[in-house]
Amino acid sequence: MSIPNKKVEIFCGTGGVGKTTLATSRAIALSSQGYKVLLITIDPAKRLKQVLGLHDSDSGNIISIETKSFAEVSKSESFDALLLSPSKTLERIGKAEGLEDELDNRILKVLTKPYGGMNEIMAVLEVQFHLENGNYDTIVLDTPPGKHFIDFLEATKKIENFFDKSFVEIFKYLGKKVTGDSAPKKLFGKIVSSGIKKLLSYLEKVTGGDFVDIFIDAVGFLYKCREHFTSAIDFQKELRKKEFSNWFLVTSAEHHKVGEAMSLLQDAQKFMHGDNFLAVNKCLKPFLDNWHPIDKDLKILKSTMLTRENELKVFAGKNFKKVLEFSEILAAEPKEHVTDLAEGWNLLLT
Amino acid sequence: MNHRLYIVTGKGGVGKTSLSLALAKNLSAKGQKVLYNSFDQEEQVDLCSELNIPSIHFDLIESARKYMAGKLGSELIATWVMKTPFFKSLFNMIPGLGHMILLGHIIDLLESDPELTIVLDSPSSGHALTMFESSHNFKEIFGSGLIVSDINKMHRFIYGENTLKTYITSLPTKMALNEANEVKEHLQDLAFKNTHVVVNDCLSPILELGEELPYFLDTKKKLEESVLEEFKDVVNFQMSHSLGETFQEVILDLVNEKVEKLI
Repeated sequence: MSIPNKKVEIFCGTGGVGKTTLATSRAIALSSQGYKVLLITIDPAKRLKQVLGLHDSDSGNIISIETKSFAEVSKSESFDALLLSPSKTLERIGKAEGLEDELDNRILKVLTKPYGGMNEIMAVLEVQFHLENGNYDTIVLDTPPGKHFIDFLEATKKIENFFDKSFVEIFKYLGKKVTGDSAPKKLFGKIVSSGIKKLLSYLEKVTGGDFVDIFIDAVGFLYKCREHFTSAIDFQKELRKKEFSNWFLVTSAEHHKVGEAMSLLQDAQKFMHGDNFLAVNKCLKPFLDNWHPIDKDLKILKSTMLTRENELKVFAGKNFKKVLEFSEILAAEPKEHVTDLAEGWNLLLT
Repeated sequence: MNHRLYIVTGKGGVGKTSLSLALAKNLSAKGQKVLYNSFDQEEQVDLCSELNIPSIHFDLIESARKYMAGKLGSELIATWVMKTPFFKSLFNMIPGLGHMILLGHIIDLLESDPELTIVLDSPSSGHALTMFESSHNFKEIFGSGLIVSDINKMHRFIYGENTLKTYITSLPTKMALNEANEVKEHLQDLAFKNTHVVVNDCLSPILELGEELPYFLDTKKKLEESVLEEFKDVVNFQMSHSLGETFQEVILDLVNEKVEKLI
């Protein structure tokens, strides 16, 4: 089966199916074909860290990974990897706009902490940034499990809503007045007609005295950086184009995954195009066919394992034109899994 | 004696939902007043009704509106605030805020009914940490005021004696256990006591039969044993693989035999 190279390759699926190891192995396979690859992980759990042997302190920095540490390759290649750091992304944007000083804001700082909850939105900005830079042939995305993957896909919609008409109008007004050192808060009192002022007066009732000021500063900062945010909206549109992206819905033969894969497919369908891949991971069938247990419980074990895998393959055949199978890897280290899966990708091409 | 709030988290796909449902079912069967809550995720309506597990669902937006109405002393204003495009989109942009309000709602319910226990089926590791950290983060953001006194009230409950018990669900693989250990350490940093690592789906116990195993299963078994040995200081409980064919059977299997030792 040929898998044409695209600008973006997205690995999505429910938890525990092997998205991270499969995405990493894909990055290796692509770079060994000579493509320049960036692998990005969006999940705050950062499983990629374990797989690549990185540290928390590497977050937000592009790290070059040698493929020879994984696979037996004749010529050593490398690819770039990035553990997403929301604070580093925001810092980059702030600096690009010459707003370093305004980054020192309690709200912006706390929300862009690793577990501050802004991962999905900042991820979209980061991906769009690297796409615009055009340094890579392919960006491989390892996404968070289940519902949080949909959050990632909806991020641009959230951005769009945030900078919606009424909001933009208010801040256009602010923007005109915000010149030089004057902070938006000083002008805030002048916006008499808007509901925002009323809103903030309610907010002031329930929060600390300085909160509203810091809040307005934070919103003012976001407003001044709005182009970085709104340009990310294009990314969403591109994702729907066949010639731009490869979608790999990953599922695993190991557990009861058919229902989950089905509902994820339904939720994600409106963001995808029709030409997608289903990757069935951890297949046991080749092993199971040659096993003839005698014990009653082992017979049940074999039959449940087989049933699950068959159900999954029926689902695969019904819903996807292109199905990729990867067999279960019997190794302890995540690194060994990646090495074997990378070979799996190469085998698919032959 | 059982705790007031059980939170079940862990890597995706390790069996958080089956463990939470089994816990709730076990407590309920013993006559305990208990509710299962799926937090901001898919409501398990069918499973709960099939297995006769009492559950409660909170809508995030509605919880936020109610909270705001209480604080501002007006349903009308709260409804208006929640409907403003600015606030609505802000709320969507900052998921931690919604999580904190949801957790606050659950704690309110527990405080208003001393007989009640809630089993919370939480999001997976990374996003669970966002939830656990949210109250600390927003305390820092808001500084002082009414919201911060509510956060302090939440903390008094969560950090109280015999109130919260957290299970980090995992699998007998290196990646899953490394992640479980990271979550455990992070929760310790947040001063959460009573955190236990539960390894689901262990194959070894059902493979101890004396019958010669095929190569792949034998390897699986050895890998599992060595990883459990490596992480023996991290793991508190091991649950064996269920031979149940459906999700319901797997849950009932847990209820009948295994989940009791966790409580």
